[in-house]
Amino acid sequence: MSSLGGLSLYNLGFGDEIIYFTPFTISLFIIALIFTIFVVISKPGRQIVISSGKDASVTKDFSDSELRFHRFLAIGCGLASIGAAVTGDLFNFSLFCALVGIINVGTFAIIKEQHVKDASFQYGLVVFAATLPLFAGAAVALAVSGSLSILELSKSVLTPVPVIAKLLLLLGVAGEGMAPFYAAKTDLFRSGGSSYLLICSLSSFLIFIRAIEIILVI
Amino acid sequence: MWDSFSLGLLLVFFSALITFIALIREKDDLHKLLLLLLLQILLIGIIALIGTDLAEAMVLAVLLVGIAEIIALTQIFVNKEGITCKRVRSLDIEVITLGKAPVILSVLLICYGIVLSGLAGGIIAGLGIVFFFMCNGYREPFAIIEIAAGLSFAIWIISFLVFMFLPQYWLFALMGAATGILFQVLAKLALAGTMWEGYHE
Repeated sequence: MSSLGGLSLYNLGFGDEIIYFTPFTISLFIIALIFTIFVVISKPGRQIVISSGKDASVTKDFSDSELRFHRFLAIGCGLASIGAAVTGDLFNFSLFCALVGIINVGTFAIIKEQHVKDASFQYGLVVFAATLPLFAGAAVALAVSGSLSILELSKSVLTPVPVIAKLLLLLGVAGEGMAPFYAAKTDLFRSGGSSYLLICSLSSFLIFIRAIEIILVI
Repeated sequence: MWDSFSLGLLLVFFSALITFIALIREKDDLHKLLLLLLLQILLIGIIALIGTDLAEAMVLAVLLVGIAEIIALTQIFVNKEGITCKRVRSLDIEVITLGKAPVILSVLLICYGIVLSGLAGGIIAGLGIVFFFMCNGYREPFAIIEIAAGLSFAIWIISFLVFMFLPQYWLFALMGAATGILFQVLAKLALAGTMWEGYHE
């Protein structure tokens, strides 16, 4: 098979679910793995708030359990983006994207400031609404061509996937990966535990790239 | 061209459009959450329109994603609005607390659920347990139920591995998967229905 991702190097079969490694997916896999390891070993920074008009600054501290949970969510997000990077099944890709979305909402909501909570609720609404186009895209692709395997869909033996399904899938992935927008909006990269928030941006970036590859291949 | 699938798809997408317009016009956060539940039903409709065995498997996964998201969003909403839970241990209705009806009803529900087995059976049996706890109050150690849920989940996963790698033992795997999912859903539903912060250890 010659496709956008290059020649398929190795297929790992679990029953009818095939995880395939092309140079493209291998590089995505390695990037996700490296950054997940970074997140595991990194120590989070503390936020220093300087009150204006006075000569005073406050360092915000975290409790230990809070940090542990934050790290757990970050590792989960990394694993989900690894899954989205290597999976060979359209529906599994949608599921991993939805998982990335849910975990990112959780990563946001852990921060105890009112405007961040509001933003995480709004982001959660977007993620929830985006599951409709995401899974609808996969469902329409299955209904038209009769297969969900990206390998089979790329062989062009089956009926080609309609453009509307691809657009729906793109819309869904865009909704799930809105995390950096909300993170920038609430100035979250400055807040405490921001080294864990790095994985939000990275996972969104990875699922965008993978979605573009899938949409061009099928 | 205009077979039943396309017609149904058109209907569902039209309904989704109406829901999205309502979502844009709605200002209240709680109402937005309820409208999203409506979207979830439409999504299940799209997948159910395919009407094959694979679609049935997909419906379960999508249902799970929807439930996970609605639980997460409700938790964030409660946290955001600063709503604290009222400490209600059980329904304080005389007929329910004194009579034998809750026991009989929940035993019936649990037996029917075990006969059904699988996901649907787990949901029905779990509802029976939630109903019983709601009526009688509870002081049970929930950590044991959590352990049972974890073990049954492990049985479920092991059954799937047997399906993949040792297909000749399919009957064993089928029984394992049915029991595992039954206890998993039962325990999780009972936990979700009765768990409040600081109520149990």
